[in-house]
Amino acid sequence: MGINSFPLLMILISYILGFLGILFYKNNISRAISTITSIILVILSGFLLKYTISNGEFIYNAGHYTAPWGIELLIGNTEAVFAFLFSIIFFIVNWYSFDSLKKEIEYKRIKIYYFLTNILIGSLLGVIFTNDIFNSYVFIEIGTLASCGIIVIKNKRDNFLATLKYLVLSSLGSGLFLMGIAFLFSITGNLNMSAIHREVMNNHNTYTQVILVSTALFTIGLGIKSALFPVHTWLPDGHSSAPTTSSALLSGLVIKAFFYLYVKIIYRTLGVELLEVQYIFKVLLVLGSLGMIMGSILAITQSELKRTIAYSTIAQMGYVFFGMGLGNKIGLVFAYYHIIAHALAKSILFLSAGAIVNENGNKYINRVNGIGKRLPIELFAFTLASLSMVGIPMLPGFVSKWNLASEAAKTNSYFLVAIVLISGLLNAFYYFPIVVRAFFMDSEKEKSDTKPLFNINRALPIILLSIGLVYVGINSEKIINIFLSGF
Amino acid sequence: MGNIMNNYVETGAIILFGIGFGIMLINNNLIRKIIGMNIMDTSIFLFFIAKGYMPNKEAPLILDEYKGVDAYINPIPTSLMLTGIVVAISMTAFLLALTLKIYQEYGTIELDEIIKLKGESHGHK
Repeated sequence: MGINSFPLLMILISYILGFLGILFYKNNISRAISTITSIILVILSGFLLKYTISNGEFIYNAGHYTAPWGIELLIGNTEAVFAFLFSIIFFIVNWYSFDSLKKEIEYKRIKIYYFLTNILIGSLLGVIFTNDIFNSYVFIEIGTLASCGIIVIKNKRDNFLATLKYLVLSSLGSGLFLMGIAFLFSITGNLNMSAIHREVMNNHNTYTQVILVSTALFTIGLGIKSALFPVHTWLPDGHSSAPTTSSALLSGLVIKAFFYLYVKIIYRTLGVELLEVQYIFKVLLVLGSLGMIMGSILAITQSELKRTIAYSTIAQMGYVFFGMGLGNKIGLVFAYYHIIAHALAKSILFLSAGAIVNENGNKYINRVNGIGKRLPIELFAFTLASLSMVGIPMLPGFVSKWNLASEAAKTNSYFLVAIVLISGLLNAFYYFPIVVRAFFMDSEKEKSDTKPLFNINRALPIILLSIGLVYVGINSEKIINIFLSGF
Repeated sequence: MGNIMNNYVETGAIILFGIGFGIMLINNNLIRKIIGMNIMDTSIFLFFIAKGYMPNKEAPLILDEYKGVDAYINPIPTSLMLTGIVVAISMTAFLLALTLKIYQEYGTIELDEIIKLKGESHGHK
């Protein structure tokens, strides 16, 4: 029972306590159990991060069966950082949900929500830690079902349709992913990622076409799940119609975990040395650029607040895929850094947007006038997060965008640099109008209700996330060094 | 051509996969979409299990005596597909439940009609 076993422990704790929580009749108990889970996860992942920074990556054999027979968990710096990030955001979003859930979903469904989020975080951690490709498929499916669950928990017309769209596209994606596994299994006879890599290195000359096909299958399959541009169509509906806290979890964490699995498959399972795999980088560069531009343009045209933020997720995932598509380690590291920046900023945006929508009772942007006087803390955090999205120095969004642009400049393609800069500007076009409306325009209602509202369970989580955002921006070099030393 | 004839099970699986994929994407009827998804998943199971099959060997069950490793087929793909089947069933169950809810809300399970209904209700606001 050393620190080595913490990864498995984290997955098991979230599942077991999740199932324990749903057994109780009272919502309060299952809420407490879920909160305890998130605190335990934060503590364990903190120790894990400290351990991997000083000792490097390690392998844990689940059930003590060694590699080809048992399932391996491989934890390096990147995995530990993501696990820590996910646990912290899960804890904060959980805290925020104390009050907001009561307003948004039916009373008897609240404990089901906590059950589903526990299952969700467990499977996301599983996706990040596992070194076994079929195991990752199982975790993906559990995660998908749980994330559909936390959308449809809001028992409204729009949610049924949004969930259906998500589920149909997702099951297409997992079908393609499983087919990719089938192809790889047929040429390597292994399911362990490291073992597959070894076998692929031995026989890739014989099976060039099979490798090409399975790379394409993985790209489309996981691209659907992590909102790659042309196959993102499920995201705006799902993320905007879900309850506030679900949107924050879905947009902040879920798509990131699937992206990281994709990186693991390309880098650790297939290997970037292969020519067949390198084709995919050009594709990712093009699709990432398209996503950056189109996601922002579509966001500008939206009239609903949460829908705008959901489209912005597509644009930001464009940056992440762009960073990976640069095809070198620096690009990938800044993609990782952008994941952290986006996870924090998007959680702030969704949580404060949820506060605005709940307070106004209206989801449209043109009704946010003057809300800044009533919800000052939420709106300041919203402004901070949108400044990070646009890329103002000191904030994490600037660090990743600046470095991605300078990496792109090194490839001598000034077109790519221009795309990064234009997309940053486009972000300003849809975030700043909201901020201006909220702070500087008068609301149509009478002046009597302009007293600032303060709710501790709503304000403190948002303040904590904002502090995290600024911290990540100031300590960017430290975080990037952690990623770099992990390679 | 010879390759295709030799690997006829895999070929059939890929054709089925294409059929399922097509049904799922093209059809507007939700029940047909779900059937398409099931065809697709089943084709993957077939593909996987065909990978474990070796001619002239037995199922890996030891009844009287152990006949050595070479006497049996590879059981791993088969056992993996047990998990796959469970996943496919839970997906199907969730989709069917959603379809039922959508039928109660909109009165139809044709996606194009549902989208038309949705557009009308937005227009009234």
